[in-house]
Amino acid sequence: MTRLLTLDSVSLSFDMGAKIRYDAVSSISLQIAAGDRVGVVGANGSGKSTLLKIMAKIFEPEAGHVEWAPNVTASLLTLGLGFRPDLSGRDNAYLSCLLMGLSSKAASSCLNEIESFCELGSFFDQPVKYYSTGMRARLAFGSALLNQSQVLLIDEVLSVGDGVFREKAKQALEEQLSPERAAIIVSHNLGQISSLADTAILMERGEISASGAVDDVIETYQRSTVTSR
Amino acid sequence: MNTIQYLTLIDTLARFHLRGEARQFYLGYFWWLLEPALYIAVFYIVFQLLLENRQPEYLYFLAVGKLTFIWFSKSVLQASLSIETNKGLISQVKISKEVFPLAAVQQGLYRQLAVFSFLLALLFLSGKGQFHYWLWLLPLMFVQMILISGVGLLSALAVCWHKDFQHLIQLGMMFLLFVSGVFWDVNAVSDADVRRWLLLINPLAALIDAYRQILLLGSLPKAGVMSVLLCQSLFLLAIGVGAYRIFHSRIALRVLSR
Repeated sequence: MTRLLTLDSVSLSFDMGAKIRYDAVSSISLQIAAGDRVGVVGANGSGKSTLLKIMAKIFEPEAGHVEWAPNVTASLLTLGLGFRPDLSGRDNAYLSCLLMGLSSKAASSCLNEIESFCELGSFFDQPVKYYSTGMRARLAFGSALLNQSQVLLIDEVLSVGDGVFREKAKQALEEQLSPERAAIIVSHNLGQISSLADTAILMERGEISASGAVDDVIETYQRSTVTSR
Repeated sequence: MNTIQYLTLIDTLARFHLRGEARQFYLGYFWWLLEPALYIAVFYIVFQLLLENRQPEYLYFLAVGKLTFIWFSKSVLQASLSIETNKGLISQVKISKEVFPLAAVQQGLYRQLAVFSFLLALLFLSGKGQFHYWLWLLPLMFVQMILISGVGLLSALAVCWHKDFQHLIQLGMMFLLFVSGVFWDVNAVSDADVRRWLLLINPLAALIDAYRQILLLGSLPKAGVMSVLLCQSLFLLAIGVGAYRIFHSRIALRVLSR
């Protein structure tokens, strides 16, 4: 299997002010190969999203290093935090396409596909500030799905929206997961992790505390949640 | 992302921002002209009507100075906040952070094109303008764009590092408003050395004076002053671009971790 990405003892901490530092991820080592589908589970603040941002090259680690195979690109699919509320869904989708590196011509030609996938009707041309959370999620997922990156980093995008859309989004994602690509999926919905991922890691306080087959890791996570209560 | 995609992104960010901004107001794009006109009106009332300024054709003198200054100050202020206001996008996509301040600079250019068109029309219709060298406005505007880009890039980086810089930049704009000859004439300074230094160390004073020479006096600005202005602007731009090259990997962490 082609190795796409290697994390070697990667650490990153945040400056919280007043000389306090928070270790967001600590000594993480991980290898991702083509065809891998890795679920990431853990409590809030355990470092899951930070780990994805390091893999997406948004954050650079303070210690350790990340090695990418030549010409491998990664895309982070998140819930549209970057949407501009005064712009329409169409404008935001176009902007998302440009940010993902599409040319203006390619971005324009993608808009019909995004519009049809999102099923927002006339709301697609209305400012995003009038959207419900579910509608924003549809727009975010529809905009993000069109990228052609080899590594898909999916952060909670499958956990919102109504049941019908969640199922549609899950199916669309499965269609994208070819053997040449890898996916790292962060979700609090353990059912989705179980059905989409083959292996999983459990993160606790910035470290990987368990890894292996997805069902075993989920079981460990559920046990640790019950114990901590 | 190649250069064309990069420039398209900057331009799209700028145009979409202006569109979103205009939608927030009842008068929409009309504010592009109304806001500077109101500024000029306020300054005119204070300096001409209350303080009885003796500068001939003071309204036009003030309009050229103030509109040039507003382009600079508004663009730099918007650029300084641009990384902070776009942290939602920065948290999602690996992207060169300088696109945000440069998009703010581009927004300023779009606004200024409308404002300068209005000013030229006003000068033409009133018969107070000089148009022998009006084409020289284009290179002058280009130099001002370089200057605004350099200062805007550096301001955005400074605010990204410490938000306190935001107050200092606002204060700096106030200082520049008073020392750049916006409502007084740099050439009226009696001491020739002081006058020369004012134009040499403050690029904004040199720019405002150059616009006035072209538009109100029908003469060309001195080549020496313009060469210094161009070098200063290019130097600031080079420093700005260099700073983003050096700090690029730390900007996202800095802005997202607070």
